[in-house]
Amino acid sequence: MAGAFKGCQKIRGPQLRNLLEAKDFILLDCDGVLWHGEKAVTGAATVVNSMIRNGKNVVFVTNNCTRPREKYVHKFSRLGFTDVMLEQIFSSSYCSALYLRDVVKITGQVFVMGCEALRSELQEAGVPCVEDAEDPDATIYNCPLAPDVKAVLVGHDDKMTFLKLAKASCYLKDPDCLFLATDIDPWHPLSGGRILPGSGSLTAALEVSSGRKATVIGKPSRFMFECISSQFEGVDPAKCLMIGDRLETDMLFGANCRLDTMLTLTGVSQTKDAEEYRDSELTTNHSFVPDYIVDSIADFLPAFEEQDKRSN
Amino acid sequence: MYLKNECKLEGKKVYLIGSSAMRDELQAVGIQQTGVGEDHISGKQMDWANVDLNPEVKAVVVGFDEHFSYSKLNRALQYLVQQPGCLFVGTNRDTRLPLEGGKAVPGTGCLLQAVETAAQRQAQTVGKPNRYMFDCVASQFGVDPGRCLMVGDRLDTDIMLGSNCGLKTLLTLTGVSTVEDAEAHQKSGCAERQGMVPDYYVESIADLLPALQG
Repeated sequence: MAGAFKGCQKIRGPQLRNLLEAKDFILLDCDGVLWHGEKAVTGAATVVNSMIRNGKNVVFVTNNCTRPREKYVHKFSRLGFTDVMLEQIFSSSYCSALYLRDVVKITGQVFVMGCEALRSELQEAGVPCVEDAEDPDATIYNCPLAPDVKAVLVGHDDKMTFLKLAKASCYLKDPDCLFLATDIDPWHPLSGGRILPGSGSLTAALEVSSGRKATVIGKPSRFMFECISSQFEGVDPAKCLMIGDRLETDMLFGANCRLDTMLTLTGVSQTKDAEEYRDSELTTNHSFVPDYIVDSIADFLPAFEEQDKRSN
Repeated sequence: MYLKNECKLEGKKVYLIGSSAMRDELQAVGIQQTGVGEDHISGKQMDWANVDLNPEVKAVVVGFDEHFSYSKLNRALQYLVQQPGCLFVGTNRDTRLPLEGGKAVPGTGCLLQAVETAAQRQAQTVGKPNRYMFDCVASQFGVDPGRCLMVGDRLDTDIMLGSNCGLKTLLTLTGVSTVEDAEAHQKSGCAERQGMVPDYYVESIADLLPALQG
């Protein structure tokens, strides 16, 4: 059909090798691409180690804010990904801290509705957070508020309570108080098809109660790419490849930053999901469509085996 | 009533995010519930996803609940995604519950939105502006919509309900919505928003007194 929107190109072998040769920066999502929980995707560690050894700039871009970057370094090492440095890891919690410190240049405190890892990234960056103190006398109808709160930040919070929602809503009544979200993923996948409520569900609750829209730090917003560009030299979108498993997060992020995108089928989204967006009459849906599809990141292995053969 | 008459849940069980008052209302029509009160799940993430589910639960029902927490949100999500054919009902979508002195707390609408977003599924809501409540009234009393007046303070619930049911609507200015809000809907040119434009408005319900005393 003339003029039909393309994308969803299944790619392997020599074509995949050529694509890799044309790219300087590889941006990789983690959950569902490199690992599921504590189990690495077969071949993922070898592929990533080979990419780094072959001089590619590899960065990891994850919306998972439940782990500080130091713990990510340990996880990479534990699962066989050697030589991954702190500087290569861009999590939504780290980038939220950068946003507050460097973009907003926040002067007051931040009310965090999120996990310990999120608070520790902020503290590491010198951004003051409201103390998460127990207040047995506080009720939802009469809760003490901290002074000088200039931002509310929502992330994954498995200790979320109505009281926290109520406090956050009060702070957000001040239009000068910023409303930030680490990400808007509605649910997080675990292994075996199980899911848990995501930051997106908590952000949605707060958007309803405050009547305001959150500024999103993580994918699909561009900000994490801006962090990467400011920390590495010579980042050219045309020479970047974004590899992820979630169309509404990773592929849209890639499209927003004008990067080539690749979907791996080891995670959330499947080929039929991508094809539905591709065939949709709504052109805005085309931003969810990956340029390329591979079954798994391990599909890159032959490209390196070929390279190793040639250099021997 | 909706759960009993429309969902046919009399004698069945629901997972309830709501108050003890709601529990009592459900019990009065023969519907059992699990979930009222605090909820604490322990363990790792996988334990949360594999939390114990009561196989008798036929619906997730969300109302105002000051004990709302991530644990409850998680349990509701697990019922909706793991229990086949599980129904999903919300009492209403009010964004805020107004209190004395101009304060407000998050309303049921917030809790419902959290569950809907996590489950990627819309609940059937029973409260205003859904016409179900009017239909309940009409079925219990002989009601002619042409001779009804809906009096309320919220354009998006009270006035909208009146419009949905073909009633005349009267906004009082002692609550949430203002004349400016109503005029903004009227000027918007958007057909959906016209349902939130009241036919009449008064400063307060007390303004009706002279008409009633005459």
